[in-house]
Amino acid sequence: MPIALAWASLRRHGTRTMLAMLGVAVAAAMLLDMVMMSTGMRESFRSLLLSRGFQLRLSPKGTLPFDTEASMGNTRELVRKLRTNPNFVAVSPVLGGSIHFPRGDSVVTSSALGLEPRVQGDYELVSGRDPLAPNEIVVNDELYRALGARIGDTLAVANGYDPQTREYTGVRRLVLTGRVRFLYGATRQRAAAMELRTLQQMGGSERDDASSLVMIRVREGASIDSAMEFIKEQGPRANLVSTESALDQVDMRLRYFRQLAVILGSVSLFVGFLLVTTLITVSVNERIGEIAVMRALGVSRAHVVQQIVLEGMTISLIGAFAGLLLGLATGRYLNGILSSFPGLPEAIDFFLFQPKAAWTALGLLALSGIAAGVYPAFRASSLPIATTLREEAIA
Amino acid sequence: MIIPFLAAVFLLQAPQRAIAIDERLAADANLKVGDRVTLSPIPETPGDTVVISAIVRRGTDPAEVARSEYRIRMHLDHLQTLARYGDRVDRFAIATRSESSIDRTIDQINSAAFGFEAHRSKDIAVGTSKTFQVVSRFHKAIGVITIVASAIFLLCIMLLKVEERRRDVAALRLMGISRRTVMRSVIIEAALLALVGSALGIGVGWLGSLFINWYYRGVYRTPVAFSIITPSIVTLAVTLSLVLGITAGILASLRLVRTPPLVLFGR
Repeated sequence: MPIALAWASLRRHGTRTMLAMLGVAVAAAMLLDMVMMSTGMRESFRSLLLSRGFQLRLSPKGTLPFDTEASMGNTRELVRKLRTNPNFVAVSPVLGGSIHFPRGDSVVTSSALGLEPRVQGDYELVSGRDPLAPNEIVVNDELYRALGARIGDTLAVANGYDPQTREYTGVRRLVLTGRVRFLYGATRQRAAAMELRTLQQMGGSERDDASSLVMIRVREGASIDSAMEFIKEQGPRANLVSTESALDQVDMRLRYFRQLAVILGSVSLFVGFLLVTTLITVSVNERIGEIAVMRALGVSRAHVVQQIVLEGMTISLIGAFAGLLLGLATGRYLNGILSSFPGLPEAIDFFLFQPKAAWTALGLLALSGIAAGVYPAFRASSLPIATTLREEAIA
Repeated sequence: MIIPFLAAVFLLQAPQRAIAIDERLAADANLKVGDRVTLSPIPETPGDTVVISAIVRRGTDPAEVARSEYRIRMHLDHLQTLARYGDRVDRFAIATRSESSIDRTIDQINSAAFGFEAHRSKDIAVGTSKTFQVVSRFHKAIGVITIVASAIFLLCIMLLKVEERRRDVAALRLMGISRRTVMRSVIIEAALLALVGSALGIGVGWLGSLFINWYYRGVYRTPVAFSIITPSIVTLAVTLSLVLGITAGILASLRLVRTPPLVLFGR
C-alpha cells in the first residue's frame, strides 16, 4: 500500500515531480562526472603505464620521464648490466629529441623517439612494419598527414640546424616503413620513431650513448622491490620510478582536478538533497489534512513514514538513473575538453567510467533521497490527529 | 715549477661566479644569500662552486604553475661552459623601438634567418598559457551544467511558491484583480528572489575567490591569481540570474492564471 500511495501522490503533481526528477538528474550527472573524475585520472594513467607491462622506469636524475630535455649517459653499459638480471623480461632504452623534415622552402618539425623496436613499449603499429634497420622510420598519423608521404618513401631527416654554416645537422635519409600510434603522445603531437642508435648518431658525439628513459619489464611474480634494489646496485645516476611513484607524481600535479571533483560532487549531492527535501516538505504540508485522516482511519505511523520516504527515494532513484545517462554524455564532452591538456598523453581519460563510480553515485543519491524524506516523514507521523483535523476543517 | 704554482694561486684568488636562486629552492634547501653551492651538469660529478648572490621571486607564468621544479639564474657564458653548450642559445629576446615595427621585424628575421623563427611575445604567452585555456573551457562547461541545474531548481521553487498561494490568488482573482496584475506580482517576486540570490552568490563567490587564491598560491607557491572576480563576471552572473528568475516566474504565473479561480479554491 505505501508504494501505491507514494506513486499516487507523486502523480498528482506531475509537473512538479518531473521537474524535481530533472533537477536530481542534473545533480546526479554532475555527481557521477565528479566521481568518475576523482578516480578516473589515476586509473587511466595506471592502465596506460602498465599497458605494455613495464613496471619500472629510469629517468635522468631529478626529473620524470620526458619532463625535461635532460638525458642519461652510458646507456649501453647500463642496459647490458640490467639485462643480466634473469627477472627482467625486457629492458627498453629510449632517447627523445626533435627532428626536422626539410620540404623545399619549408620544414616539418616533429618529436622523435629512438628505441629498440623489438622491446619497445611506446607505440602500437597501425600499418606497415617496425623500423628494424638503422635507415628506417615510423611516424604517427599527424606527422604522416603533415609530410604527405607514403609508406616506402625515402625521407630526408635532420636533427638540427647550424645557423653559422647554414646547414642542417645530423642529416639521414630514412625509409618510412609504417604508421604508428604513440601511447604517450599528446593530442595533435607529431611524432616519429627510429632505432635508438640512429637517433643517437644523428645527435652527434654529445648524444652518442645517451637515453632519456629506460623502461624495465619485470617477470610476473618476481618482486618489484628486489628489482629496484638490483637497479640501485648498478649505480645509475638516474631516478628510479615505479608505477606507484609515477602515479603519486601525476596525482600531485593534477590534484586541482581531484579537489574540484570533491567540491563539485559534494555541492551536487547537497543540491539534489535540498531539492528533494524542499519538494517532499511542501508536499507533506499540503497533505497534512489527508495524512491526519489516514492516521484517524487507523493507518500506522510506520506506513506514513514509509510512504513519504518512498516518495523521496522514487524521485532520487529515477532522477539518478536518468542522471547516469546524462552524466555519461556530459563526461564524454568534458573529457574531450580536458584531453587537450598540454603535455598529457592523449590516451589519458579524465572521466573514466567504472561500475564502482556509477554505484557510488547512485548509492549516495539513494541515501540522500532517504535522508530527504526523514524530516518530513517524522513531522507527518507525529501530527496530533484531532488538532490537525480540526484546523484543516476550519481552514 | 713556477708556472703550476702561479696557476694554483690564480685559481685560489679567482673570483667565484655568482648565481641567483628562486624562493622555492631557497626555502626547500635552506639556502641564503652568501651561501656557496656546487653546480654540476651531471649529478654526482665535480662541478663549479658558486656563491648565491640573490634570491628572486618567480614571475607569474601560468605555464610553470603545475611544475614543482627549481630554477637558478646565472650568466650566459657560465651556463654555456658548465653545460658544454658551446656558443649556442635557446632563444633571443628582442625589444623593438615601436609597436608598429614588430611585424616588419618578424618578417625580416624570418626571411633572413636560417634555423630559427621569430614570434611575438603575445603569441608565446598565448601558447604557454594553454593549460589555463583548457581549464577555462572546462570551467565554462561546468558553469553551463550548473546554470541548467539552477534553472530547474529555481523553476521548482517558483512552482511551489505559487502553488502554496493558490487560495490567495483565487481570492484576489474573484475580487477582480486582473490576471496581468497577478502575473506581474509573481514575476516581480521571482526577479527579487533572483536579485537577492545573486547578491548573496556574489558575496559567497568573492569569499570563495579569496580562499581559492590563498590556498592554490600556497600549494603551487606562485603569485598567479587563480580566481578573479571582474565587473563583467558580476554583470553576467546577475543578468543570467535575472533572466532565469523572470523566466521561472513567467512559467509559474502562467500556470496559476490559466487555472479558473474556483478550481484554485479546490471547488
